[in-house]
Amino acid sequence: MRISTLNMFETAGTRISDLQSGLARTQQQIASGRRLLVPSDDPAGTVRALEITQSQSLNTQYGVNRQQAKSALGSMEGALSSVTSLLVDVKTSVIAASNGSLSDSERGFIATELRGRFDELLGLANTRDGLGNYLFSGFQTATPAFVQTPTGALYQGDQGNRLVQVDATRQIAISSTGKSIFQGGGQDVFQTLNDLIVLLQTPGTAGLSAGLATAGSNLDLALDNVLTVRAAGGTRLQELDALDNTGEDRNIQYSQSLSELQDLDYAHALTQLTQQQTTLEAAQRSFAKTASLSLFNFL
Amino acid sequence: MATNILSIGQSALAAAQVGLSTTGHNIANAATPGYNRQVIVQSAAQAQNFGFGFLGQGTEISTVKRVYSEFLGTQVRSAQTTKSGLDSYYSQIKQLDNLLGDPASGLSPAIQSFFSGVQELSSNPASIPTRQAALSSAESLASRFQSMAGRFQEMGQGINTQITSSVGVINSYATQIAQLNDAIGRTQGTSGQPANDLNDQRDQLILDLNKEIKTTVVKQGNGDYNVFVGNGQPLVVGVTASSLTTIASPTNPQKIEVAYPTPSGPVLVGGASLVGGKLGGLLAFRSQTLEPTQAALDTLAIGIATTFNAQHRLGQDLNSNPGGDFFTVPSATVGASGFAVTITDPRLIAAAAPIRTAAASSNTSTATISAGSVNAPPPPNVNLTQPVRITFTSATTFDVTGTGTGNPTGVTYTPGATLTYNGWSATISGTPITGDSFNITANTGGVGDSRNALLLGALQTANVLNGGTTSYQGAYSQIVAQIGSKTRELDATSSAAGKLLSEATLSLQTESGVNLDEEATNLLRYQQAYQAAGKVMQIASQMFDVLLSLGR
Repeated sequence: MRISTLNMFETAGTRISDLQSGLARTQQQIASGRRLLVPSDDPAGTVRALEITQSQSLNTQYGVNRQQAKSALGSMEGALSSVTSLLVDVKTSVIAASNGSLSDSERGFIATELRGRFDELLGLANTRDGLGNYLFSGFQTATPAFVQTPTGALYQGDQGNRLVQVDATRQIAISSTGKSIFQGGGQDVFQTLNDLIVLLQTPGTAGLSAGLATAGSNLDLALDNVLTVRAAGGTRLQELDALDNTGEDRNIQYSQSLSELQDLDYAHALTQLTQQQTTLEAAQRSFAKTASLSLFNFL
Repeated sequence: MATNILSIGQSALAAAQVGLSTTGHNIANAATPGYNRQVIVQSAAQAQNFGFGFLGQGTEISTVKRVYSEFLGTQVRSAQTTKSGLDSYYSQIKQLDNLLGDPASGLSPAIQSFFSGVQELSSNPASIPTRQAALSSAESLASRFQSMAGRFQEMGQGINTQITSSVGVINSYATQIAQLNDAIGRTQGTSGQPANDLNDQRDQLILDLNKEIKTTVVKQGNGDYNVFVGNGQPLVVGVTASSLTTIASPTNPQKIEVAYPTPSGPVLVGGASLVGGKLGGLLAFRSQTLEPTQAALDTLAIGIATTFNAQHRLGQDLNSNPGGDFFTVPSATVGASGFAVTITDPRLIAAAAPIRTAAASSNTSTATISAGSVNAPPPPNVNLTQPVRITFTSATTFDVTGTGTGNPTGVTYTPGATLTYNGWSATISGTPITGDSFNITANTGGVGDSRNALLLGALQTANVLNGGTTSYQGAYSQIVAQIGSKTRELDATSSAAGKLLSEATLSLQTESGVNLDEEATNLLRYQQAYQAAGKVMQIASQMFDVLLSLGR
């Protein structure tokens, strides 16, 4: 068969250039560590990688949300644990006041001390978080939960529970309303405390023991109520920890899937690089040899 | 007789010279594109009858012809135009493939970071910095949309420029082909011999023309080539060249289309009929890939803006006002480049719901009411935030009072069933007692409420596009998948077309190409023929000398 000299050179040129671009591609993959450089490398894989990246980004965001929820529940728990010890102290005062040997003025001292406790409790009910939001006023976080009234305190918030998205399908309440904490369980702790102060300020012992008994039972109800709210908060914190664990597991799975889709198999790529180098070198050498063959060399 | 020998030698000498010249010409043009090797057609001169028989009169060259196969030439042209078309399509789509492949420049990360901002907002709805951050992430989503749309527009403009230049090249080739038709006709007419090199040039021009656009070539009896493009628009007829021109598309002034001039003004050549070659590839890329992808991106931008706005308008901002439009919904003509964030004041993000519910303090049962939600679609009911009271008149019936509710009485209570009045929905659960009441009111001051932000965040994975079948990310993934698959397909078809072209070229070159070793052989052959002819003439001369010496 006749072979055109021009065609011989052109074919060799094209072939060598193809080999070089293959080599350059492998080199680019090795330099970037990525198997998928452009969508056309693996359209289905690229789309899968996009989906997994979104899932992973959401999973990470839920982790951040969980931290927020934990911090909010932690602030609530901090305030409520102070409320608990305050109520326990008030109960101790009630027991002390029931001592029949106390004079009117001694009961007055206890009343004065309890007035301080009342203010402290009001302060706790109006606790704010680090950003200045009131914890216990429902949705109206810019409004103090309670204002003092002559007979106790008035709840100014609403019954809204603030929710945070802590997992794809789970929203968790990060707040409890002041109404449910301080005025739930069939009593109003501010009124109880106010009534108690009025009782202790009243001279004489008429109705004292009955009033103290009412105060004591109301305080028990209040304590139970606060402890119930704290227990619910604790359960949510536990759930958040459990979700953290599954979230981390999921994150690892996503990373693995992404790595399988996108990352380069270095052993394979380096083998391929060597093979392509060898082929290219062979093509170059054989071309140089055949190109130098010419009858004109002998004329 | 000696004169006869001399003239035989002379004809052999001349023939060898022609052979050497032709060989030299072949060697000189071994690397000339489109050159086909030439050979001499040599035959014995007519013999003369001398009575004792016919005596040869030497040799003669009847013509110098080029070795060329019309059939193989047509195959190469056809393979070339296919290959050029696919290459031009591929080199354009590769740019989109690279654009979408870059993890930093795609739309995906912008969508994800925008929704991260919304999620942060739902955790801290009252925080102005968090609101500002959500707004900033929305701005970067908008600018990503705008920059992608801008990139597409740039590509569209680039294609316009290339179409114009390609049409210029086509017109220039048409003129040259017409000129060659003329030159070849005249040369061959006067000499009666084939104009080999001019024919080569014309065939090469036709091949080059096919790199720009697929043509149909009809060879005329007089040797002229008539060239047609598209649906039979004549480009060259005999010695007359027509020309193509470009005009702005009547439907989209930003778009350049190919037209042919007529006395009544330019007429569009349907893009579908202009196939093959660089121009065909550009037109195919524009209509089959660029425009659909642009349209898909526009649809996505409009879809995100519309659906996000719809939820946003059901909410309430930090000033306790109803939510407005969050994004500017681009018009269909402007598309993704018009995607923008409407809100500039972070307080105007409607993270809260406009209503809240409460059980009355005087309730004696533990029946509860859900937080309540606003019914889609916007705009919300005008009485949405009117105070509404639901009062139980028995354990199984209740009355409703409030503007807009129609104040129904004795409504049957089903625990957990959804109650809908004034454009909101809520559910009451448990066992209410006569006299229990529940209130639905405006969520005034509800700055810590993030119910609407949670619903906005849920849009990230909700199937809200394409009639509720696709998510935002899903719609973008479809664009990526389409570009990826098409690029991959073109990579394969273009390399297959490349193989076909090199095979066709090889076949043609096998026949027509110059082989230098063969020419070296010819060189030796004609050199020896020349030497031998010289020897013949020398002998004839010596014979003549013998005759002359006889008289001395």
